[in-house]
Amino acid sequence: MNEVVSVGGKLALICAIAAVALGLVNAVTAPAIANVKEEQLASALDTVRGTAEAGEEQLVEDDPIVKGYYPLNSGGSEAGYILKLTGVGYAGDMELLASIDFDGEIRSVKLMDNAETPGLGKEAEKSEYMEKFVGTGAQTPVPLNKQQLSQKHADSVSGASITFMGLAQALEAGSDYVKEQLGK
Amino acid sequence: MSYVGIIITFVFIENFILTKFLGLCPFIGVSKNTESAVGMGFAVTFVMSLASLTTWAIQKLILVPLGLEFLQTITFILVIATLVQLVEMIIQKISAPLYKALGIYLPLITTNCAVLGIALIAVRSNYNAFESFVAGFSAGLGFLLAILLMSTIREKLENEWVPKPFRGVPIAFITGGLMALAFMAFDKALLRNLIG
Amino acid sequence: MGNFTKGIFKENPIFVILLGLCPTLAVSTQVINAIGMGAGVIFVLLGSNIFVSLLKNFIPDKVRIPSYIVIIASFVTIVDLVMQAYTPSLSKNLGVFVQLIVVNCIILGRAEAFASKSNVKDAVFDALGMGVGFTLGLALIALIREVLGAGTITLFAVGGFDGVIRLPGLSESPVRIIALAPGALLVIGYLKGLFNWMEMRKAKGAAV
Repeated sequence: MNEVVSVGGKLALICAIAAVALGLVNAVTAPAIANVKEEQLASALDTVRGTAEAGEEQLVEDDPIVKGYYPLNSGGSEAGYILKLTGVGYAGDMELLASIDFDGEIRSVKLMDNAETPGLGKEAEKSEYMEKFVGTGAQTPVPLNKQQLSQKHADSVSGASITFMGLAQALEAGSDYVKEQLGK
Repeated sequence: MSYVGIIITFVFIENFILTKFLGLCPFIGVSKNTESAVGMGFAVTFVMSLASLTTWAIQKLILVPLGLEFLQTITFILVIATLVQLVEMIIQKISAPLYKALGIYLPLITTNCAVLGIALIAVRSNYNAFESFVAGFSAGLGFLLAILLMSTIREKLENEWVPKPFRGVPIAFITGGLMALAFMAFDKALLRNLIG
Repeated sequence: MGNFTKGIFKENPIFVILLGLCPTLAVSTQVINAIGMGAGVIFVLLGSNIFVSLLKNFIPDKVRIPSYIVIIASFVTIVDLVMQAYTPSLSKNLGVFVQLIVVNCIILGRAEAFASKSNVKDAVFDALGMGVGFTLGLALIALIREVLGAGTITLFAVGGFDGVIRLPGLSESPVRIIALAPGALLVIGYLKGLFNWMEMRKAKGAAV
């Protein structure tokens, strides 16, 4: 009995010390980690908002794709929204910010968090990749598969069609959300 | 994701061994002989299913509410170590020959990246309890499938001529590589077409 | 000193003892990821070897494996948190594999086989040797996979240089399969075959 208590006690002591030590490390790194996330979001918002100012974030519940939005304000008048979208990529979820006008037209897109394959799906992080979606969503529909793209854009999707379809579906959902829920 | 989607994903499309390389040590180490490969596969599947369910509970009910997410790695691995001890005792009681056949590889399930791997992936993918369980179970099945296929190939290879430098481990890796190549046929497009 | 060099060649964890395979293949897609993972493993190895050696008379034999695991997991958590805070893109590239360092057989293996029976100084050199050997092996695989599979070599981003060296010819039409899953297994299989062949020639040379 004594042996069990002594052995168990020593193990428990090691665990306790470990937990305390980690608590300290956590306290030190947590603000830095939160900072990193904020900076990434701010820089992505900057890329997407153009000359407009972004207002307070409004969270959206119960939507699998649209997670939140920021109303845009340009020189005093409302100028559409930036939507936070979640698309399903090749290797997990992809986080996007998209600037969308009231009529659903997509003005600018930035791919943030993703685990796509470098050289293939990850190319979507570049702004040239997103050109295929800019201007769609209102008069022209958001392209949902490779056949609907021009030759130049179709090439950039080669070998990474899952990434493309995930992005397209998310953007279409975002564009529809603005038209149906937020539009004038 | 639908349950069928989860199963197809972890057994084929994201087979732990052939696409994520989780569980390689036993894959190369235990696949010389089909019986122990299958025994190992079942033991791992059992542990993985229970582990992902238990770690889901710990994450959801203890770590998150108390803001202790930084203790995730420690608690998860300790849970897995405990489960493996339990499984060891159970197998010893139920089937002494299997216990002997698995030998050292049974306690080594604790350090099998696949078990901790599925626990972490299930949490990162925000699965609920049942989805976590199904994910663990399917990942285990995927492991079983890969190790079973590998062992049948290696048994045949024993009777074939292999250049000396490649005998044993290197040819096993190359075989694995070719299997992974074949498994690339299962990709997300297939899943989309099957389930929509 | 012998403790240090043995980790690099004779008992190289990747190619000789075949430990720590999981993270090896998964993060070997880019050289920078291999170096980052290697750095993390060296840190954890050092921490765990030192503490296991220091506490070797305190840890009861019956619970030594769980104790080692707690120690290793603590250092892994430290590496994970520090990476998330100060090297976020590396943290994202490595993903779950940072936490999976805790089940990297190399670390538990060294704790059990060496550190628990040695003094701190020897344990430190052993950790450094194994860690460096692991990093070199991983970097070699990553170099081959990245050069052939993507035509680039990704190193540290310094100033205006984004860290990516693009190789002419190869970066336009790389052998993509090598950057994907099967490539990893094939590369390590052929490398191991190559090293075996080199060993055999050496043995034959010595026998002659």
